[in-house]
Amino acid sequence: MNGLEAIAYYNGWAISVVGISIVFTGLTMLSIIISQLHKMLDFWDNRHDFRERIKNARKEEIIADISLYPDIKGTARQFKLLTERLGEPFPLPELLELSEKCHLAHPHRTINALLQAKLLVPDDKGYYLWNQKVK
Amino acid sequence: MENLIELLGRFFANTGFALADYRYIIMIVVGIIFIYLGIEKQYEPLLLIPIGFGILMGNIPVFKGLGLAIYEDNSVLHYLYFGVTSGVYPPLIFLGIGAMTDFSTMLARPLLMLLGAAAQMGIFLTFLGALALGFPPNEAAAIGIIGGADGPTAIFLTAKLAPTLIGPIAVAAYSYMALVPVIQPPIMKLLTSREERLIRMEEPREVTKREKIIFPIIGFLLCCFLAPAALPLLGMLFFGNLLKECVVAERLAVAARTSIIDSVTILLGLTVGASTQGDVFLTPASVKIFVLGAVSFCVATACGLLFAKFINLFLKEKINPLLGAAGVSAVPDSARVVQHVGHQEDPTNFLLMHAMAPNVSGVIGSAIAAGVLWSFMAAPM
Repeated sequence: MNGLEAIAYYNGWAISVVGISIVFTGLTMLSIIISQLHKMLDFWDNRHDFRERIKNARKEEIIADISLYPDIKGTARQFKLLTERLGEPFPLPELLELSEKCHLAHPHRTINALLQAKLLVPDDKGYYLWNQKVK
Repeated sequence: MENLIELLGRFFANTGFALADYRYIIMIVVGIIFIYLGIEKQYEPLLLIPIGFGILMGNIPVFKGLGLAIYEDNSVLHYLYFGVTSGVYPPLIFLGIGAMTDFSTMLARPLLMLLGAAAQMGIFLTFLGALALGFPPNEAAAIGIIGGADGPTAIFLTAKLAPTLIGPIAVAAYSYMALVPVIQPPIMKLLTSREERLIRMEEPREVTKREKIIFPIIGFLLCCFLAPAALPLLGMLFFGNLLKECVVAERLAVAARTSIIDSVTILLGLTVGASTQGDVFLTPASVKIFVLGAVSFCVATACGLLFAKFINLFLKEKINPLLGAAGVSAVPDSARVVQHVGHQEDPTNFLLMHAMAPNVSGVIGSAIAAGVLWSFMAAPM
């Protein structure tokens, strides 16, 4: 048997396609792994620093934000009482409406301050909730 | 007096002069050409000289039954040839290659590994060609691997799949490896423009010792989980490399890259050469194998080059497509050819270091391809 007939009979096409795909897969996987190897090693070497840095960054961020608004914690307590009625997570317009009904001072500005201080955080679904990490 | 003449007559009848026919003479001429190319032209002298002399040894016509010829049981050459037919020598050569290979440039620029993979297309295209020419699949697979331009891999796979073809396949593989400086440049020039050949490569980043130590372990595990049949070759390759890079086993690394690989190269070259006994070697099948081998080599080179041009379409920082030609795993000859061709266009452009990346990844790629073909043939679809 010769020619294309022989190739088809012995599954030559399939063997070639699968064979070259395996070679490519192997070397591609290896190249991806080794391209990340030095980064992984760097990360491993600096894992303690990295953890510390993340911790410090979070702390600094929260403290710094709260420090912008001296009485923010007291204000937050008032708003928390309101949101107990709404339940968490809650939409901001409802919180605003409720705070206006209850005659709280400057509700727009206060809610904005709570957001900037990251006491109120988005839940990625369009609603908001209280940041549990801030005591 | 009559006894004396009869004795002389009988002695003469058993000499090479009386037993020789034209096939032995042809092969002796081939052997002398190999030795000439090795010494005078310095084309892979470490391979061509042992193979050339082996061809001379294998083509001394001997009286059958004395246990002298390589294909006779109990002959010394037959015992030495066992290392080839059993597939012992190729992994030992890979051990030595591993112990002398520096994977730094490949680790610094892993993208270039893909060029080594692309060049392996030659193997599978030649496999198809061999099937089309009427070879059974096991023999077609063994012939296809010539395109990997990797002598030990070709011998290893042939020993497993088509032991009767070891002679022609090994000689074809090593001949074409030695002829890399002749075969590759015209293809490289044909498939690339001058502007492409002038592309300069960025200096690779520095690779740490730890990366070099971890690589053979990761490489071995990944490749051998993917293609377990490549274990004898890749296992030894990566083991040799680990010995080299870990530093603490320097004595073993030195042994692997000097005495072990040198001894095995001598035995392998000599016995492969001796296996080309004229009456066994000069057949129409051998001619087809040589033709397919040459085609395979050219196709592998072209695939590497064209793939380099292809990936350049997506890269901001272009790579010199000549590097694709180094994907055929004739280490380090094809890398040297890349350097030479690049140097002809621009004497200040140094590509050798960069070409080593596809070159060594080609070694890994051809071993994976051999493992894949072996596993397919062992368990036909």
